[in-house]
This record gives sequence, structure tokens and C-alpha cells, in this order.
Amino acid sequence: MMASNGGVLGDIKVLDLSQGVSGPFCAKFLAGLGAEVIKVEPTGIGDSSRQSEPFLGGPNDVESSALFAYLNTSKMSVTLDLDNPDQALPVRQLAQETDILVESYAPGYLESLGLGYDALSETNPGLIYVSVTPFGQTGPYRDYKGADIVAQAIGALMYTIGLPDREPLKVGGESVLYTIGISAFSAAMLALHVRDAEGFGQHVDVSAMEVMTVAQIHSSINDQFGHTPVRRPTNLVRAKDGWVSPGLESGVQQGTWPKVCELMGVPEFADDPRFTTQEGRRTNQQDLLKVIGDWAATKPKEEIYHTLQALRTITGYVATVEDLLVAKQLVDRQFFQTLADPVHGEVIHPGAPFRMADEEWQLLPPPRLGDHNQEILSGRLGYSSEEIAKVSKNGEA
Amino acid sequence: MATTQNRLALEGLRVLDLSQVAAGPYATMFLGFMGAEVIKLESRSRMDINRGRAKPGPGDPRVYPNGEQGERPYNRTAHHVHRNINKLSVTLDLAADRGKELFLDLVRVCDVLVENYRGSVMDRLGLGYDAVSQANPQLIYLKISSQGATGPEANYGSLGSTLEQTAGLASITGYEGGPPLMTNEVYPDPVVGILSFGALMAALRRRRQTGLGCLVDLSQREVTSMLLGESVLDFSVTGRAAGTMGNKHRDMAPHGVYRCTGDDMWVAVSVGSEDEWLGLCRAIEQPDLALDPRFQDRKGRHGNQEALDEIISSWTRERDHYQAMHLLQADGVPAGAVLKGSETINDPHLEARGFWDVVDNPEAGTYKQSTLPWMLSKSPRKTTVPSAGLGEHNFQVFNGLLGLSSDEIDALVEEGITGDVPNPDA
Repeated sequence: MMASNGGVLGDIKVLDLSQGVSGPFCAKFLAGLGAEVIKVEPTGIGDSSRQSEPFLGGPNDVESSALFAYLNTSKMSVTLDLDNPDQALPVRQLAQETDILVESYAPGYLESLGLGYDALSETNPGLIYVSVTPFGQTGPYRDYKGADIVAQAIGALMYTIGLPDREPLKVGGESVLYTIGISAFSAAMLALHVRDAEGFGQHVDVSAMEVMTVAQIHSSINDQFGHTPVRRPTNLVRAKDGWVSPGLESGVQQGTWPKVCELMGVPEFADDPRFTTQEGRRTNQQDLLKVIGDWAATKPKEEIYHTLQALRTITGYVATVEDLLVAKQLVDRQFFQTLADPVHGEVIHPGAPFRMADEEWQLLPPPRLGDHNQEILSGRLGYSSEEIAKVSKNGEA
Repeated sequence: MATTQNRLALEGLRVLDLSQVAAGPYATMFLGFMGAEVIKLESRSRMDINRGRAKPGPGDPRVYPNGEQGERPYNRTAHHVHRNINKLSVTLDLAADRGKELFLDLVRVCDVLVENYRGSVMDRLGLGYDAVSQANPQLIYLKISSQGATGPEANYGSLGSTLEQTAGLASITGYEGGPPLMTNEVYPDPVVGILSFGALMAALRRRRQTGLGCLVDLSQREVTSMLLGESVLDFSVTGRAAGTMGNKHRDMAPHGVYRCTGDDMWVAVSVGSEDEWLGLCRAIEQPDLALDPRFQDRKGRHGNQEALDEIISSWTRERDHYQAMHLLQADGVPAGAVLKGSETINDPHLEARGFWDVVDNPEAGTYKQSTLPWMLSKSPRKTTVPSAGLGEHNFQVFNGLLGLSSDEIDALVEEGITGDVPNPDA
């Protein structure tokens, strides 16, 4: 049995039937707050993210994906094939003891197996059933398939990203799928708040398209007000070892610009009318970037960041993954945590997404496929060893 | 999914909202949708920058309805109108002693305080967590900041775009082989706004368990860096640092956007499984592709994706982006039109799901408002309440909540501590 740290969700049991990125990220956050999370994976191959790059070891190893490892900390793994009637039964049994169920199947699929919200809530009315899908449970696109880039496209996030003379560009990595998972987490917490107060559970419907349409913060409103957002040139300038944005276009006080000119050794620009106001610096951004670029090219990016922030500008520097792990601020707050993985050794994970008084964020290594079959199926549901052997770790049913 | 019960989920929850710009206002906008009473507190000399200037010049970059600034421009900017819905508007000068007193009086009758100033602003005002928790030990103080409440950079300023940089997101966003790019959409702000909602629900549950409020310390940089978590793990073990790869994917191919008919129109396509691949071959009416040895498996397709991109583009170029999406989806291929904001407000799927609210804003006219990133079967969303004019609810709050008389409120207006007209230099 996995130790519970108590925690805000120390009394909460989560059944994670989801696969891929968004649903598992939601359940990871619930585990972070102390919930017990049982993850159900298909026998043999496991969650689809186990097949995804980047791999920490060999690509043909279900225990090798960094994506899976990140998404499934502090969970237990049970292997069951839902479409096998014998194996759907234990899932139904587990669902009876579940507070929050997270799933990401095509709408209607779990229903067809007797694992839909209506069926499960009949005997477990407190159940919170979180469905995370590309387009939601209703509407003309409900059966359409999704992906990170599809959500970014259809939610109008992507159209304005990238350079004016190029194609629309996606936000990198899996970041949008994580955002959808965060929405599911917040919605699950909301439903739990309602249950704590009122006693009933409910069906939570998270649509990736809608998450993106919400996350696209300018386009729908600006467009309606007669200003069509478009892809814009970048305001990054090259530093000696990477990229910075000098941050002089907004949020800067009157006296700052002359100080920056002084610092850059170009006092003659201090009263250049092109640059003396924020509006001017925004309008003449490309000229400004050239002036700053000549100076920045000789300095390390982090030095520029700290120096200009000290002048109360809103400066940024482009951190790489490597930079993040040594960034003073993140190190000082001990944001990153090292977990000992039995296979890959020491693996560094991002830690708590927020801190609440002295509450600890539960962060334990991800389970190997089927690690908890015995404990859950036998220990909790009373199945015999022969029955469990059928769904054993390697899934040779 | 019909909503069958009508009680608002957060009815009775009172939120004092000092937040500005995007992340905080987004969080409190969501709270308002679920029924919380949100009191947005600004000062007449420092309004939420979403409102723009009291007297903007002709070249002001902010977006006003049809470019018209109107009589009260600070009640009409697109960002204010869009993000500050579902809130009451109150003004108070927190630099004045009387302002501080009234602020603490409000703290005593609120459940939640939300702010996203630079790290130490509230402490310098004498209104940091120690002061407010003393006034109200049950108060939940949600402190959203660029870098977190502690650490050497706690006082650094940021915007959504600089967070994308310092959190690493820009380092993995960009065209293949090209420089890092930001999203132009201050992407970390809505993400943090959405997460803040869940964080607050967690703190409320903790209050239910312990009877106590607490400080919720949320660093936007930390949250944003979680969006590239798998790359952090990967680097820590293999030393590989993720970089830009355009619209390509680590595993899947084809994966990208493809040009359609019309100006700057595109469709996004992502093929992962064998079924999706075979569906693509059917949809673009090239069944022989499925037999092409170059594209036999995921690895082959990944290695030969430029050739595939050319084939797909020659098909999409003949169709509009919605048509291409529907044809591909009919064969089980994940595809989505690259919509513009103006297209999302007319999209039939969002329409059918009731995603948009049609809002008649008395200062800015009628428009469609985006709503929530979730739908709950039994906890309905409150219909959008239009953004409030500056100080519109001063009387309602100071009289109704704090019991001040009309004369007392008039005196506060006289002293400039509250009011519904911005300071002319604001």
C-alpha cells in the first residue's frame, strides 16, 4: 500500500482510466495533493504514453518513457483490459469505491462497457466522473479525434503564433495537453468542493477545444472589436550565449530608459524621441532592438536579465531546460525534486505547482506496469492468484 | 449533458480581487462564473492596466470597440471588457491610512484575497499575509506572482511573454532549426488562471478540514516550466536539451499544418496510430500510399515526413480548412482547421455546446464572451455579468457590506480615497 501523506486529498480515492497526457496529468495533480490514485492500464503495452519519446533508456521498454514517468508520479498501476468482460468487472468494483474517476476515451465508449457515468453513479452517487476529450461529450464534433496540434488549431491559439511570413506555429512539446489536464484538475476540485458542501457527485466534461478557446486570450475579443490579431515579428535579441527580451515596451517607469542608455554606454539615445516613451519604444521596436542588440551581443543572457531587472524593467531571458535546473530562483525554492527510479537512477522532476501553508506535495516515482495488481486485485478485491495471473504484469492473458 | 440542478457551486463565496493584467483576472472571472461574489478592487490612480489610460492619446495601442475610445475609455478596452466580467468594481486608495483600514474591513468579510503584484508590494503597503491573516484567520490569500513569494528573484517583474522565456517554454517553441519564439498570446497567463482556480478549491477544502485559511504561493514561472516536464526528466538522465522543432512531433508523423484555399488558411493534421495513417490514405484518396515502403510504419513516416507533407499539401490546397478537417475526421484522422478568433465565435460545435455568452455591455456594446474550460452536469455556469464601470459598486460594497453611510462615502470621495472617475493621469 502506498503511503498517504494525509494532505488535502488524503481521504480521496481516484481511479485513473485515462491515457496519454491530459487525463494522467490531472490525476497526477490529485495525487500531489495526497489522493490515492489507481491507474488502470491495458495489459502488456500499458498507457499509450509508455510508447512515447523521449525515452530514458531503450525505446522498446515500457518503463523507459520520460513522458510517462512525468505524468504518473505517485500512482499505482493495475493492468486490466476494459473490453474484456471479465476484466471490466474489477474496474466496476473499483469504481464503487472511487471518489474521482478520470477518463479520456472517445465519448460513449465506456458507456458501451457499462462503465459510463449514469451506470456507475447509480450505485455511487457521490462519484465525480471527469471526462477529458478533444471536443467534449456533446455537439457535432464529439466523435472527432484530437491531438495537441489539433486543439491549438481549432481553439484559435495557433493562428497568431509564429512569424508573419511563415505558417502558424504550435506551442512546443506537449504543453497544450498539459494545460487541458490542468483544466480537468481544477474542474475536478470544483466538483469535489460541491460534493463536500452538497453531497452529490457529477459528470465533468472537459473539451480540449474549449480549453484552448479560453486560453486564447486576445483573438476572439479583439477580432470582435475590429482589431484582427496577426502573427508578429519577435522582440528577442541575441545575447552572447542565447536570447533575451529587453522588456522596455511596457510596465517601465519614466526614468528607466536614460538609466538603460547609461548602462549600455549609449547616452546619446537617452533623449532620442523615438525611444523616450513606452509607446515610442513599442512603435519603433525594431530600431530599439538594434540599439540594444549591439550591447546585448557581448553579454551573457542571465547577466542582462539580472542587470535590467534591477532597473525595474520587465526583462526576460530564454532559459533552456539545462538553464532551468540551475536557475538561482528555482534552486532557492527547491522547485525541482530528485526521485530515485529503480531503473534509471536519479531522475529530476518539477515539483509542486503551488504551495499551501505546510502541505506537502506528494511526489513518488511512477509505477512499473502492473506493479499493484496483487495489492489491488487480491488485497482489495479478493481475486485469487489464478485470476490475477491472467492479467499479470506482462499481460499474457 | 443537461445540467439538472441549479444551485451555483460557489454561491456565498466572497472574493476580494486585487489582481491585474491576465492571470489573476482570469482566475476570478472563472470564480464569478461559478457563482462567487468577486469584488474587484482598484485605485483611481492605478487602475488595472487592462483598462488602459484615463485619457488615452490618439495613438494608444489598446483595443477599443471599432477603435472608438468613447467618453469613458477605461470602461471600454477589449481586455477589461473580456477579463473583468462577473465582478463588482470598487476603488480604494491603499496608500491612504483610511484606505488601508477599509481594505482590512473588507478582508474581514471575504473568504479569499487574490493578488498578482510584484512580490513585496503588499508587504510594503503593510497589507501582506501577516496583516490580512491577523484580520481574518480564515482568509485564503492566493498570491500569484512571477517568481513565487520567496527567493532572490521574488521582486522581479514579468509578463506572459517573459515567463515563456524564463520558464523554458520559448526554448521549445519555434520553427525547426530557428530561434526561440513566444506565443504572442501570453500563454502562461491563462494557464495560471485556470490552475489558480483548482489551487483555490484545494485551499477551501483545507479550510473545511482545519478551520484555517492559508497563503497559497503560486509562481507563474514554476507552473509554466511544468509544461515541459518530460524534457526536464529527459535532460536529467540523458543530457539531451529539447529545442525547437516547428510543428513536428517527437513520435508522430505526419504532423503539422497544411495550406488550404483562401488567404492564410490552414488545417492541422496529426497522425499517430496505424488506423489514423490508413484513414489518412483513404481520406486523401491515395490508397497506394499505404503500400509505399517509405511509410510502412511510424518510424518510416517520421523519417520521410517532408515527402508526406508535400503529398498532403497537394490535397489540402484544393479545399478550405473546415472542409479538409471534416473529410479527414470522417476517416478517423485527427485534424482541425486553424481557426481565427473571428471564426471560433461562429463555430457550430461551440455554438451547439453553448460555449459563448452573448453579452450586452452598456459601455462597449454587444459581443460574444468566451466562458469556461469545463462543463459540470449539475453545477451550472452563471450567465456572464458584463464588466463593471470603474467604481460602479462603491456604494453597494461600502454601504451594503461595510455599513458606511452615504455621508461617509461622500467624504471618502471628497478625499479622493474612492470614486468612480479615474485620476486624470492614471
